[in-house]
Amino acid sequence: MKKVAIVGGGASKCGRREASWRDLVQEAGKAMFENVGNISPKDVDSLIVGAAQPERFVFQAHVTPMVAECLGITPRKVAARTELMCASGQAAIRYAWACVGSGMADIAVVFGVEKMYMPDMTEAQTNMTCVLDREWDGVNGLSAPPFFAMTAQRHMLEFGTTKEQMALVSAKNHHYSTMNPAAHFQKEVTVEDVLKSIVISPPLNLFDCSSITDGAAGVILVPAEDAKKYTDTPMYIVGTGQASVGNVINNLANITEWVPLKMAVQETLRTANITRDEIDIAELHDCFTISEIMEYEAFGWCEKGSGGKFIENGEPHIGGKVAVNPRGGLLGCGHPLGATGILQALDIFQQFRGEVPQGRHVKGAEVAVAHNLSGAANVHSIIAYSRDLK
Amino acid sequence: MTVEFEKIKRQNMIKLPYMLDFYPLQDAKFTRIDRFFQNLKERKLTTTKCKACGKVLWPPRIMCPECFSENLEWINLGVDGELYAFTEMKLGAPLGFVEDVPFCIGLVKIGGLLISARIDGAKYEDLKIGDKVTLKIIELEDDRIFYRFCKVKE
Ligand SMILES: [Zn+2]
Repeated sequence: MKKVAIVGGGASKCGRREASWRDLVQEAGKAMFENVGNISPKDVDSLIVGAAQPERFVFQAHVTPMVAECLGITPRKVAARTELMCASGQAAIRYAWACVGSGMADIAVVFGVEKMYMPDMTEAQTNMTCVLDREWDGVNGLSAPPFFAMTAQRHMLEFGTTKEQMALVSAKNHHYSTMNPAAHFQKEVTVEDVLKSIVISPPLNLFDCSSITDGAAGVILVPAEDAKKYTDTPMYIVGTGQASVGNVINNLANITEWVPLKMAVQETLRTANITRDEIDIAELHDCFTISEIMEYEAFGWCEKGSGGKFIENGEPHIGGKVAVNPRGGLLGCGHPLGATGILQALDIFQQFRGEVPQGRHVKGAEVAVAHNLSGAANVHSIIAYSRDLK
Repeated sequence: MTVEFEKIKRQNMIKLPYMLDFYPLQDAKFTRIDRFFQNLKERKLTTTKCKACGKVLWPPRIMCPECFSENLEWINLGVDGELYAFTEMKLGAPLGFVEDVPFCIGLVKIGGLLISARIDGAKYEDLKIGDKVTLKIIELEDDRIFYRFCKVKE
């Protein structure tokens, strides 16, 4: 398999946007092509679109040709769409990587988009409740917030994790997103703000939860050997891991230890030929504050159950053991499902190039991972990126 | 040239369609595990167990994912459960459940399984992990049926 590079990308502003699904596609597409001056839409031979639920949110299926049409792309090698709920965007990058690496595609656009604000938000909540097994879990009202609330309740019981420790995750990520103009939220949030915010599903308050967000993003993949034709500072895809265990509640490996994440981490380190201590930046899936705490543990940066202490000690801040979510995370940036994995990749790309504001720049970073979980945390997906080709 | 203009009328409200309804289709026209729902009508919570490898399967199935045997039997899970975790839906309920907010959701240990369920008969503040809960059956207006649990009064 050929080595593969990302040579550029762009994104729409994320948030509660007064814009349609198609508007978001065109905003991000224009930004992406402007970022890579010497690739025109007509040069692109392949397009893979990450989109979680356009059938529900905008009542539109078969979205890949629509994105192609919006951006003047005429795919002639690969055209496909990926759905892996919250990891849909990352799944699109993985497949485009495989296509370019295998020679099936030469210049591939990976695009992610989700328009989640609807005139009646009950409809949006309904969409989000068919993610877990609809007939056996969703039927009980089990969408993401109650599921992660019960995960947090068990983690607090078994390991003594506190609401204050969880709130520290939200405060950290909102702090970084104040320095990210593309983020949904640009206001500092204190631990007290989190604890005082309205209760969504106890023990989770509003600021423990990532938001419903509109957004789109795209990146362009080419064989590594061609990358310098397009930019002096490409980013290389160097490894990946993914695992899925069970789906309905009864068949999950464990509620308070994410076994598939541990599997995906091992596979990522193996394929990228790196150790966890070499990771400078980790864009982790902080859909809820408890998620990020459990991810510190599964990546092995701290012991099982001590994720709360890890953030209390400042370890996941820039300058600590590993910079976790210097983009602002899902908590600060919002979570436009199909776009999220691509927004993470794009921010790492800009981190390596030194194009992000000082306060959230991880200086000298060479290796990064982007992680997404989906469903009842039964699926975990990771891609490792490198500034240099080793 | 005048451009024709007409204001048209459309039916504004539709009844909750089955594919936006969280409750499963239950009769034999739409599922091969209709027996599960017949058993619920008889106040029994059941599932399938594989006679070839012994695995208790949840949800009930027509084939064992562990050994691919179709030789399954229906077993009764009983009525007594224990609360493993719980929370309350306060905001963000989907269509069909908005009227019920706030309501409690739990993970219940029963018959060697861990299943999610609505928890009736108690406020969030009244529940604790380890509480005994007991089976409750609900019936929808269209005769479809489902299970919940209730806190056992001490
Ligand atoms: Zn079997």
